Amino acid sequence: MRYQRILTAINEHVQSEIAARYALQFAAAAGACLDICFVEEPGHQTEHGQIARAAAERMQNRAKAAGVPCRLLYERGDPLTEIRRIVKTDVVDLVFVATRGEDVKRRFYTGTMARRLSRGLPCSVALVRVVHLGRIHPKEILVPLKSRLSHAAERAAFIAVLSRAFDSRVHLFHVTRPLRTFFHGEMHLTPLEWDQRLPADISRFIEELNRRRTAHERRLAPGVAGRVISVEAAVRRHDLIVMGASERGRAGSLLRGNPVEQVLRETPCDLIVLKPVHENQ
Amino acid sequence: MKISNLKLDEIFHTLVTSDRGLDRGEATRRLAEFGPNGIEETRRKPLLLRFAGQFTHFLAILLWIAAALSLLSEYLHPGEGMGMLGAAILTVIFLNAGFTFFQEYRAERALDAMKKMLPFRVKTLRDGLVSEVPAADIVPGDILLLEEGDRVPADTRIIECTSMSVSNALLTGESEPVSRSSTPFDGDMLASPNIAFAGTTVVGGSGRGAVFATGMRTEFGRIAQLTGTVTPGLSPLQKEIVKITRIIGAIATIMGLLFFIIGQFIGRTFWDNFLFAVGIIVANVPEGLLPTVTLSLAMASRRMARRNVIIKTLISVETLGSVSVICTDKTGTLTKNIMIVAETACLGNDPHGNDEWLHTVGMLCNNARELDGEIRGDPTEIALLREARSARVRHGGLRIREFPFDAERKRMSTITTVDGAPMMLTKGAPESVLAICRECRIGGRNVTFDNALRSEADRLYGMLMDRGLRVLACAIRSIDSAEAVTNSAAAERDLTFLGFIGLEDPPRPEVAAAIRKCRAGGIRIIMITGDATRTALAVAKRIGLVQKGAVAIEGGNFERMSDGDLRTALSEGEVIFSRMTPKHKLRVVNILKEEGERVAVTGDGVNDAPALKRADIGIAMGLSGTDVAREAADMILLDDNFASIVNAIEEGRAVYENIRKFISYIFSSNIPEIVPYLAFVLFRIPLPLTIMQILAVDIGTDMLPALALGAEKPSPDLMQRPPRSPRERLLNLPLLARAYLFLGPIEAMAGMFGFFFILSTGGWQWGDVLPAHSTLYLQATTACLAAIIITQVANIFACRSFRESIFTLGFFSNKMIFAGILSEILILLFIVYTPAGNALFGTAPIFGNVWFILALFALSLFAAEEIRKAIARRYCSGGAVE
Repeated sequence: MRYQRILTAINEHVQSEIAARYALQFAAAAGACLDICFVEEPGHQTEHGQIARAAAERMQNRAKAAGVPCRLLYERGDPLTEIRRIVKTDVVDLVFVATRGEDVKRRFYTGTMARRLSRGLPCSVALVRVVHLGRIHPKEILVPLKSRLSHAAERAAFIAVLSRAFDSRVHLFHVTRPLRTFFHGEMHLTPLEWDQRLPADISRFIEELNRRRTAHERRLAPGVAGRVISVEAAVRRHDLIVMGASERGRAGSLLRGNPVEQVLRETPCDLIVLKPVHENQ
Repeated sequence: MKISNLKLDEIFHTLVTSDRGLDRGEATRRLAEFGPNGIEETRRKPLLLRFAGQFTHFLAILLWIAAALSLLSEYLHPGEGMGMLGAAILTVIFLNAGFTFFQEYRAERALDAMKKMLPFRVKTLRDGLVSEVPAADIVPGDILLLEEGDRVPADTRIIECTSMSVSNALLTGESEPVSRSSTPFDGDMLASPNIAFAGTTVVGGSGRGAVFATGMRTEFGRIAQLTGTVTPGLSPLQKEIVKITRIIGAIATIMGLLFFIIGQFIGRTFWDNFLFAVGIIVANVPEGLLPTVTLSLAMASRRMARRNVIIKTLISVETLGSVSVICTDKTGTLTKNIMIVAETACLGNDPHGNDEWLHTVGMLCNNARELDGEIRGDPTEIALLREARSARVRHGGLRIREFPFDAERKRMSTITTVDGAPMMLTKGAPESVLAICRECRIGGRNVTFDNALRSEADRLYGMLMDRGLRVLACAIRSIDSAEAVTNSAAAERDLTFLGFIGLEDPPRPEVAAAIRKCRAGGIRIIMITGDATRTALAVAKRIGLVQKGAVAIEGGNFERMSDGDLRTALSEGEVIFSRMTPKHKLRVVNILKEEGERVAVTGDGVNDAPALKRADIGIAMGLSGTDVAREAADMILLDDNFASIVNAIEEGRAVYENIRKFISYIFSSNIPEIVPYLAFVLFRIPLPLTIMQILAVDIGTDMLPALALGAEKPSPDLMQRPPRSPRERLLNLPLLARAYLFLGPIEAMAGMFGFFFILSTGGWQWGDVLPAHSTLYLQATTACLAAIIITQVANIFACRSFRESIFTLGFFSNKMIFAGILSEILILLFIVYTPAGNALFGTAPIFGNVWFILALFALSLFAAEEIRKAIARRYCSGGAVE
């Protein structure tokens, strides 16, 4: 898997500029071209357009300074439609988009713009939630992993590039259901015992990371995924969390909760939610 | 790269702001995106749902079904008392839910205390103009104006400042102010001098800073988030109770169903079989167990309060007893937190040759002051002042200028006119003071402080540290009146080293014995201190905390160690953590817990709160602790004394032992409650014991005697045993065997004998059917009930110990037992001899000769148990005596 063209969407919000910085660093590490795109929606305030354009230009200057080939794209219309068109036309591999306040206030998986982009684009999408402006280059990246992982190769490639981009340490983290029996209740296992129960998909992911020579540490912990991930990041002072997009539908999220939503709400550091599409390429 | 590494223009660029601050529109947009700057509660299960959870666990569901079936039966067959039974079972469900919730409920007020630590309004630059805004409206990118006395509302990168110092006590526990600067810093962001963290206070000077994190994303918010979210999980006792109720519930259900099916096969009516099944379930379930456990824990917490320990959640009482590791602070907990000068030393042949000047520096370079006849200030400075006064120092002085202590310089200096001449007086950490000395004073003369003398000074310093002393170096310099002293860097140079003052925080006298007790009881103690390693080790040796070569881990190394390395280090016998800050505690607790240890941890600061919450037992200091620590902890030490923790652990172990005693007692009466039902089905006799009578025992007569067992004194060897293994079951096979196969059958024999004795003397023949309201039948069931209760009176003496004879324990050593027996007898008399009792429980008065016969059974049980104990003492080891 090699990312050759990366697009980042800019708007009037400062988060989009920070998300674009992630995209720029990523593109530099991946040796990819960067498209900085602002889509002006009909009825958009002029002031907002000016702010977004200024941000896009700042990003372009940064990209030039970093030696990353870069294009500025100003479009008008529905952001999803326009970005989808660009992705298809220009064969974009990965889009970086900042999540908005609404993604946290409203239920993320019930129809926000981030959700629309994540679902509607034919390429991989990295949704970036920016919460902390002080950790400019994330040195410690927490990567929570589910038992069943799709797109292991692309996920590993993404983590490897990100780690290279910021010269960061990668901490793989698997939250597993506590081991329970009817009569004995919850059983205590030591980290070594948990390690022996590492799911096959995670082992495959680790192999992929090893293949890319990305050093990592790993840890397993029992508990409820969403809460445990944000606690882990807070306890160990991680600078960035990178997790996979939820595959839970609206009904499932309503009934069983949604770990991604919970981490979006409670994350103590910046968060990237990756929706990969490239399978084993 | 972090914000602390950046230069001014890079800061503005990174935060997308400028020295004019944000414009109002941008501030509003950022507020909408980043949210208000404040401490938010993390989403928790609502109180109502938590209470509702008490009605939906396995045992409760079983009882709901039994109650529903009883009420259905009342509807289908009115007048057979099933309605009353249904109501009684519902009462049991609510009673148990109430008691369990009471045990587990704890008001979460730690975050409320934290919210009060942020300011309400702050000065900020918006559109280039100074404006005062609510602290909640501060956003990343805002430029703050900070002055002396201000609380910092958000994590802020200082961009300019004048003599600015802040108190980081809230975050680091260090009470000394630290100076701030705007220059880039490459180290750890937490230690960066160019950051002012949310919740800290500006104690001097002023400055401007750019906000880079707000609300829950600040360092303070991180502590709040962890305090609000980390939990120790279920306590050992809670886990055991879940197991017991599931096991008993399963046994009850299987027995009920099995005998229902057998009844159907042997041709009893559906109604009889149904009655039987409900009876079996009710007889098996120890309805009084949860209330008894709760009340017993409440009694123990009152006993602990008398030993200077306040327990905040009842369940913690028992958790204390299972603790296998105590992570403790040193200052104030193991030691008295009262500094005294223990020794002075200087170079040369006379180690006390410079004492006069050492005490002069100690007295004049000192901010402790006498107010209302009491010296107030920092404990170290109080000790120095006291020592100087008792040494009757001749020199007096007038202070001209002060360079206060700060964490970077690690020293304090004053320019003081001593005997009319201005002098620089400096005291501080030896490595900091020695580095700025050019000469040293030996035998009243100043000589060059060459390498040989420096090595000698280092040796002397090490020697004092090895004695467990906190060491200060003192130095002086005459100041030329023409000398311009602009700042500390210019003033603190070319000093003359005088010598060292060794201060000691003496260990609490009771600590050594408490540590011996822990050692005997298999409890590990891990000291976590901010002191230097050698000082920490010396104190640890003095109080008996370390005996062999202890592993000492310093804060710097600790941060670099991987979890695996730390796990290995912690598995070593004796470990001491030195130069640590409270932020490290949580990691230690986490690793110990992952290894299956049951951890108690002490703390007093705000940033101790997450570790206090995560530990099985968080222990806050009552005297020196902050409100946040007290709210986050499970227990509070009123005297801050380590020995009180050990007393509490002993009490906790006694509670666990006593819970096992009353479980034996309560479970013994299950067999005489079950056997009548089996006889009813298998031998086609009238039902010897009704369900209401079972409930009279389980949640009536058994309760107070069981509580009295909960007040038994601890066994003398309780702290000689290792902490109980997590695999050890509260309800184990020996305990069940003793209750179900030994004590229970004797009680069942008594009950059945009483029942048949009445029937046979009343002329009943095998196979006769007795009307449910006939006096003979009512008397017979009464005799069965009375037999169970009378034998339970004997059983309470039997259950006071698993292996010790009652004659060894002393009949009257637990007076509550007699109150319990009295209550038991009074309830029995009410049931047997009052019309209300007769009506409610379906009983009738019985004659004196019946009591006499039943008393013989009680004596038999007592004698049989004494014989069993004698055999157990002679032939069995400790574990298998139940």
